[in-house]
Amino acid sequence: MAYETLQDIENCMNNGWSDGLPVIPPYGSLVDEMLSAMGWQASDVIGEIPDQNIVIRAEKAAATAVMAGCKTEYGPLLKSLSLALLDPKFNISGVEVTTGGAAVLVIVSGPIVKQLGFEHGANALGANNRANATVGRFAQMMRYFCGSGGGVLVSHGTVGHPGRLSFCIAEHPTTEWEPYHTQHGLPATASAVSIMSAEGPNSCNNHYGETGASILDTIGDCMNHYGQTAWYYRSGGFVVVIPPDHMALVKEQFSREQAAQYIYDQARRQTDDLTNVGRIAKQPIPYAEVEDHSMRSPLKSVDQLSFIECGGEGGRFSAVIPRWVGSQQVVCRPIE
Amino acid sequence: MTDKTPTSGGLTLPSKQLMSCGDITCELLVDPIPRPASEPIKVTLKPKLSRVVLVDHLKPNSMAILKLTQTILRERGVEVDDQILVKEDASRPMPAAMLDSLSQEGGLVLCGISD
Repeated sequence: MAYETLQDIENCMNNGWSDGLPVIPPYGSLVDEMLSAMGWQASDVIGEIPDQNIVIRAEKAAATAVMAGCKTEYGPLLKSLSLALLDPKFNISGVEVTTGGAAVLVIVSGPIVKQLGFEHGANALGANNRANATVGRFAQMMRYFCGSGGGVLVSHGTVGHPGRLSFCIAEHPTTEWEPYHTQHGLPATASAVSIMSAEGPNSCNNHYGETGASILDTIGDCMNHYGQTAWYYRSGGFVVVIPPDHMALVKEQFSREQAAQYIYDQARRQTDDLTNVGRIAKQPIPYAEVEDHSMRSPLKSVDQLSFIECGGEGGRFSAVIPRWVGSQQVVCRPIE
Repeated sequence: MTDKTPTSGGLTLPSKQLMSCGDITCELLVDPIPRPASEPIKVTLKPKLSRVVLVDHLKPNSMAILKLTQTILRERGVEVDDQILVKEDASRPMPAAMLDSLSQEGGLVLCGISD
């Protein structure tokens, strides 16, 4: 039986049913258990991509969850996550095929983090933990399986990033500011899953700053480098990851709203420099709202900036995650 | 058991059906990939007509490049439509009506050109 299972794994990998890593073969009995955990029947319609004439039924999501290695106890979370991924606002095919090489960033917040055993401390952005790894992998496999028009669309990602295999971050169950999902309209007491398309994280190291402002200035500078996609023609927004040691300084000086406003006001770059170096077209499109000789923010508005509190103690690092510019909406759903 | 399907563009589509077979019985694995209800659009690599239709997707410099393309092609004697069509958002799929219309075009459709 063990050899047959290995053959099934190879069969999946050799026939396009894989993200490049070995998968759990989607045996009907396992998929049925996952469907039950997700609260769906196999034929339930959970999403549509009308332009591609594709209807997505629940058994596809359940099969993908099995293949990614998810436990059935993740079922309610996976249900919310599936609906978020297939929400037209997310633009799953765009995320799959773009030259931007974006991944699906999954953020889990609220009591569910502790209940399901997500890692939210050490290596929070790349935890070797089953919940983080498999839920993040599930989201990328859904992107790949559902976003490629049944296999006819090819991703044109120029460089991509490792998050296209798995990219799931869990927030600390207890936070200094309000939980992540309150930035997207859910109550503080909720458990939630939020998704957005994102580039890879940039680490922000500041070990000697003595004020919250110095930490935010460092984060703002990280958002402001010449290579940032945000300058291109429009910003997708940023997620700022603040671990405890940086938070200890920032919270003394700023509320979350004040911190966002501070970065929005301070983190700017001379428009003419951006044009001269080739980061803004000489004939910019109107949407880019380029004003010559002005200081330009990598954000179109302050609400494109959000904060998540996670990461271990004992290191003065934060991180900035640029969101893909082609899918600017965060889809945030409660887990019930 | 597999039924990988090669497409006209050389792309190999993922299998629609895989089986797991033991000593006595076989069972179907559940296909995780949603498929289009009808055959996906076929891309014809060689146009039937010597004509070019240009589509601007509103990325920076797209229109400038397409206008230059229009001029150069005409100088070379290629028929190019006067109207440059506009797709409203580069990052989203082409609207169904536009796709239907362009799929009837016998000439070459040039879209997605920018810097």
